[in-house]
Amino acid sequence: MTGTRDTQRYLLWLALGTTVMAAAMAVLLALQFTQQQAIRKSADLRSDSITALSFQLEREFLRLRHVIDVNAHSQGPVDIDALTLRSDVFASRYQLLKDAPSASALQERSEYKSAMPRLEALIAQIDHAMLAPAVPTRLQLQELVHGFNALGADVQDLTMVATRRTAELLEQQETTMLAQSRQIMALILAQLVLLLTAAAALAWRQRRQEQEKRAMQQLTRSLQEANLAAEAANRGKSQFLANMSHELRTPFNGVLGMLNLLERTALNGAQQDYVATARSSADHLLSLLNDILDVSAMETGKMGIYPATMDLQALFASVDQLMRPVAEQKGLQLQTDVAADLPQWIHADSTRLKQIVLNLLANAIKFSETGKVTLQLSCDGSDSDTPRTETFPLRLEVRDEGISMDADTQAKLFKRFTQGDDSTSRRFGGTGLGLEISRNLARRMGGDISVTSVRGVGSTFTVVLPLTLAAPPPSKVERVPQLPALARPHEVQGLTVLIADDHVVNRKYMGSLLEDMGHVVQFAADGVQAYAAVQQSKPDLVLMDLHMPIMDGFEATCTIRKLHDRDQLPIVALTADVFEEARQKASDCGMNGFITKPVNVGVLQETLTGLFGLRGAPAQAPEQAPEQAQSRRASQSEARPEPPAATLQDELRATTPRPVRKRFRPGDVAAHLDMSMIGDVCIGVSAQGYRSLLHSFFQDESGALDALLAAIDSAPVDLRAPAHAFKGAVANLGFHKLASIALHLEKSGVGPDETTATRTELLEAWTMAHALCQRMGLTDVASVHERHEAAQPGKD
Amino acid sequence: MSLSSCPITRRTLAFVASLCLLTPAWALDPPAGAPLLTISGNVAEKNQAGAAVFDLAMLEALPQKSFVTNTPWDKQATKFTGPLLRDVLAAAKATGTTLTAFALNDYKTSIPVDDARRFDVIVAHRINDQPISVRTKGPLFIIYPFDSVPELKAAKYFSRSAWQLKSLSVD
Repeated sequence: MTGTRDTQRYLLWLALGTTVMAAAMAVLLALQFTQQQAIRKSADLRSDSITALSFQLEREFLRLRHVIDVNAHSQGPVDIDALTLRSDVFASRYQLLKDAPSASALQERSEYKSAMPRLEALIAQIDHAMLAPAVPTRLQLQELVHGFNALGADVQDLTMVATRRTAELLEQQETTMLAQSRQIMALILAQLVLLLTAAAALAWRQRRQEQEKRAMQQLTRSLQEANLAAEAANRGKSQFLANMSHELRTPFNGVLGMLNLLERTALNGAQQDYVATARSSADHLLSLLNDILDVSAMETGKMGIYPATMDLQALFASVDQLMRPVAEQKGLQLQTDVAADLPQWIHADSTRLKQIVLNLLANAIKFSETGKVTLQLSCDGSDSDTPRTETFPLRLEVRDEGISMDADTQAKLFKRFTQGDDSTSRRFGGTGLGLEISRNLARRMGGDISVTSVRGVGSTFTVVLPLTLAAPPPSKVERVPQLPALARPHEVQGLTVLIADDHVVNRKYMGSLLEDMGHVVQFAADGVQAYAAVQQSKPDLVLMDLHMPIMDGFEATCTIRKLHDRDQLPIVALTADVFEEARQKASDCGMNGFITKPVNVGVLQETLTGLFGLRGAPAQAPEQAPEQAQSRRASQSEARPEPPAATLQDELRATTPRPVRKRFRPGDVAAHLDMSMIGDVCIGVSAQGYRSLLHSFFQDESGALDALLAAIDSAPVDLRAPAHAFKGAVANLGFHKLASIALHLEKSGVGPDETTATRTELLEAWTMAHALCQRMGLTDVASVHERHEAAQPGKD
Repeated sequence: MSLSSCPITRRTLAFVASLCLLTPAWALDPPAGAPLLTISGNVAEKNQAGAAVFDLAMLEALPQKSFVTNTPWDKQATKFTGPLLRDVLAAAKATGTTLTAFALNDYKTSIPVDDARRFDVIVAHRINDQPISVRTKGPLFIIYPFDSVPELKAAKYFSRSAWQLKSLSVD
């Protein structure tokens, strides 16, 4: 505002200054013109001055008088020629003084006025006297001389007056010119002052503008700095977010793994419900973490798109399979319309494509209460008739009949942290990042997502993606189009898998999963161990954690690759690190694949079958007790073949009815079992592992109990070695009553009369531990102790 | 002053030579009427002792030229008629650089011969188609075409315009 007013004022002053200057110039011009006129006039005066005119008149007057006088007094004839010439010349002089333009300056003077008529009269008198053909007489001439003499003073006065008049005129002109000169000088001075003022004003304005410009530059610089600082802060926040969510994933893997294992133990209804709730919360939390990671990857520009040849139809089939139960659970109908010309093999990033479709479908289901959700796949564009050889413009529409949105909401929809409005946010939950991520992904793939919504009818999200067609892959993939249906027959041997992970929980979890599928598992806690294990026992597959102490997964892979190439020994990365650099680095090291923690059973299975085909598939399930199968299905999200460990247990349970001890007294558990120790072991090796340990122990596969009993029987032999071995086994399992008995035997040995009592005490503690474990569901194997009791006839 | 070193002289000579070539050579007869103009000095064609003398008829016999111009001596434009000065000089076969004009009132003025070549200066014997009496600045009047050539409106040329002309001297 001030700037505008300043500019206006400046323009006003400029106009005013220019006007004054122009006016002064005009006046100057006028003055110069009049001066020029004056100069011209003075030149005229000079060229034929009245002084010269009157002087010439006087001169001719005197010359004529002289000629007349001479003729009047001479004795000879009158010289008529001379008289005529002189009188003519005199008359011409008189005429000039009378008619010449310059003579007008003299005509107002009294001397002129009195002299001129008398001169005219004199000329007339001369003319009369000289009138041809008569020759003037001497008398006439003498009279003329008198006339001349009478006029002499007047003619002289005329000359004097002319001289004075000329002087006056010159003086007058000089005065005028001097006055004009003064005016011109004054004007020039005024102009000079004005010019200097204007120059000073301009300089002042220029300086002020410079200052303003500098101030503006300063402001711009500080704004830029502030902007940079803000960007840095934002980047820092993004980085922090990425780091935090990444860090959160590591312990979270443990939670998910344990939940997976917990689901697979025998649980009652309420427990199953709790676990299912924990599971869904954990899944939700994981999806939030993934969203945050995606967003921070987007912000730091690290989100990569990795296209590969993929089966588009299989992808939509699996999406349909995945989302159908979700929709049905909510009472919604899911309809998938696939255009007949939809290509099967394309070149795209299947993970990201699936992410987009799942996000849109999940949203549609989430925001619909009733009706139908439609996933429609077709060819985009009107020229769908033309044959396509290189690209296929996919048009993917997800329609719902749920809450619709107004234009405002639609506009904000793809922005961060935006849901329809605050009320829906409270109603439906979620991060609001999904659509932003999806749109970003679609755009990175060269497409886009748009939305239309009609109040009361529903919303349609449309994804348009230019897909690059690909040739069907030659061998591997077409072999197993339907992974979940695949199962390994008994006669096909499973895999030997080396799990390299520094976290014992992770090792046990992975081991448990793989054993469930009927594979043999080996462990390594770091890269060095993994390398040694590969050299020693040549496994079929290495699952390699990337971050390990001593030697990390990358280095270990590089080292192993010197021995075995990709086809000889597949190595699959196993990490919570979802950043693309890690993925790229893993691939560069020669890894065959990449499994993200927490490991999903389906993904693991898919990876194994992808690498090994039928051999990598889970072992075929044997016959199962109906209720057992039922309980498994209920507790797990997806149906899986039963692992062989469970098979063995089931067989044992089916053939051996369990003699469960009828009553327990309060304090029995505390007296015999160290529950916190058992808990630690379960966390260490998983409940499944503990179960298998108990299985071995109660079957006395190691023979520790047999050895100790034999030693007691043959007392007084040294009991220390067998007691120590037994103590180690029971202490590890948390059987502290048995452990204290073994400790006592190891320290004190046994007297000859104590043999029976000791044996009884030992076996009772064994039986109690077994019964308690059975009761708590920790084992369902029959104890080997009956065998020992049967060997003692005196006992029942 | 040698001829070769003075361009003006040479040019004038060339001019005069060309005039001699262009103008048919006729013998200048002695004046029949009253002599009006006497040209003395370097005159090749003489019809009196040491001079070429012209009467009115002789001047009227030369090609006549008229123009109308304003002068400082008249209040309105005036028509002048008479032969060109250069024709008059050629008739007298005058050679030289400077003319000195003498008037009846003993007025004397110097005129470069070059003026006759550069401008259509005439020796007027009629003003407004009337013969000029001595009383009206006659009988002859050297007049420059002031209105046709702006540079002529200067005191220098005004002073060269001799009226009541009686004789010319060629040097």
